[in-house]
Amino acid sequence: MSYIQVDHLRKTFTVRRKREKDSLTREKQQIRALDDLSFGIDQGEMVGYIGPNGAGKSTTVKILSGILTPDSGSVSVGGLVPWESRREHVRHLGVVFGQRMQLWWDVPILDSYSLLKDIYRVPEEAYRKRLDELAEALQLGPLLRTPLRLLSLGQRMRAELCGSLLHQPELLFLDEPTIGLDSVSKLSLREFLQYENQRHGTTILLTTHDMEDIAALCSRVMVLGHGRKLFDGDFNSLLSRYDTARTVLVRYEDAGLVPPLPSPLSFTREGDSLKVVYSPREIPTADLLACLQQAGPIRELIIQPQNIDHMIAEMYREMAL
Amino acid sequence: MKSYLSVFRLRRRMELQYRGAMLGGILCQMFFGLILIAVYRALYDSRPQPFPLSRVVTYVWLQQAFFRMLVASDPDLLDKIRSGGIAYDLCRPLSLYGFYYVRILAQKMMGSLMRAVPMLLFAALLPDGWGISLPASPAGLLLGLTALCLGLLCVSALENITMGITMRTLDPRGIQGMLNLLMMTFCGNILPLTLFPDSWQPVITFLPFAQLLDAPIRLYTGEYLPEFAPRVLALQAGWTVLLVLLGLLLWRRNQKRLILQGG
Repeated sequence: MSYIQVDHLRKTFTVRRKREKDSLTREKQQIRALDDLSFGIDQGEMVGYIGPNGAGKSTTVKILSGILTPDSGSVSVGGLVPWESRREHVRHLGVVFGQRMQLWWDVPILDSYSLLKDIYRVPEEAYRKRLDELAEALQLGPLLRTPLRLLSLGQRMRAELCGSLLHQPELLFLDEPTIGLDSVSKLSLREFLQYENQRHGTTILLTTHDMEDIAALCSRVMVLGHGRKLFDGDFNSLLSRYDTARTVLVRYEDAGLVPPLPSPLSFTREGDSLKVVYSPREIPTADLLACLQQAGPIRELIIQPQNIDHMIAEMYREMAL
Repeated sequence: MKSYLSVFRLRRRMELQYRGAMLGGILCQMFFGLILIAVYRALYDSRPQPFPLSRVVTYVWLQQAFFRMLVASDPDLLDKIRSGGIAYDLCRPLSLYGFYYVRILAQKMMGSLMRAVPMLLFAALLPDGWGISLPASPAGLLLGLTALCLGLLCVSALENITMGITMRTLDPRGIQGMLNLLMMTFCGNILPLTLFPDSWQPVITFLPFAQLLDAPIRLYTGEYLPEFAPRVLALQAGWTVLLVLLGLLLWRRNQKRLILQGG
């Protein structure tokens, strides 16, 4: 049995909506947020959890955190059932809900942290060390004495993250942790999560729409759609299935040149460059380059891999999500 | 226990930040105090009552000074319920009821102390017949203070039940409006409970609302004699325990059927 073991989890929500505009009567609709979901995660794993909006990702995280009670199915996290032994369970759990706030609005964030220290009973010494470590990784130093309400969105997110990690949880649920972060913060957060995972063996479940996050952090990824698990495995092998196209941008010394292209390829003009989309499986890259070179001297040539978001969108389309 | 104490301390500190609200509250309560006293003086001028005027004036000032204890909801907590920020509170190794209870307690205590001290000083400086009188006896003062603490615990339990109901309705206005009406009437804020007809007294002094401020004030003014105090304090404690248990039950049931909407 894995550290996190989820079996046949089901959760249904009832949504009431108006029958039509201005109607007074409402109809109820049952929405299956989770439909027979099962998976296992081992200690020390870093797992990406993706799926389109409304797939049931957050619902899973809430059930695993002990906040929601499922309709049926079983969950065990480190031997505990989250919603039954909530208080014991959450002691070693860190959660980041990217769109909610945990720190106190009107007081300096340092005060919120010292409250969290007391709530999780972190010893003073350990707390100081941990805070130094986190403040450095998340560049919080000068912000610590500032009330939360005066921080920008990105600063607030970093402060929130620090709050969730203070008690050094052995299990970390991150629900959209990089919302609003600038590139520098994003990179340093990723670095920190990696460090945390390797150094302390923290188990991390990362829910996000930012595929760069997943690509950088998670080797294993689970794809959820309509409450069902559609894929569970290596992220790269998932991508390679959809990673079929490359784009070549070529600019000739003489803008009027037209290269002979092997059928069925064709080009489009973009400024004074030509754009060719091809699949390396059908036409070897070397062959295509040879064709392009035949036409005349090339000033600039760029080969672009497929955009990760396009691949994911393609995957969602194919899975009919 | 230490965690609840920390929550209490932080919330108390936070209340100190709202000095503008404090000033506004003090001015508003002073205004109401003076108007009410003017009305009672006019009433006594035309038709003297058996109950001494100085006691009524003292009653009014104490009610106004601790007004914040009665009707003040923590906007942050209501916001958490509406916005789903409560999700984070559920991820803490604390009792959710306890967490909210100490926050409410801290806010009511600090909020009312900040207003009460300057207001009572002001009321003490007013001329005779307008200002507050000294307590009936040193024992009356001590018993009154004890009763005030119990009243604070009791009103926090009541407020936490409102929070529990808000978790179900998602909108606090209905239940708060109702509770405020009951509070203002049966706490003695609009009309001192001592001025209600004698036949009403056994009922209204038994209600939980009378335990909040009316009982402490009556101990202070000597309306309740110190010999009578054990019964008063026991009734207050009884209501507090009952309301806490009720709240706990409500919160536990809420937690079972809780749904956090959106993301």
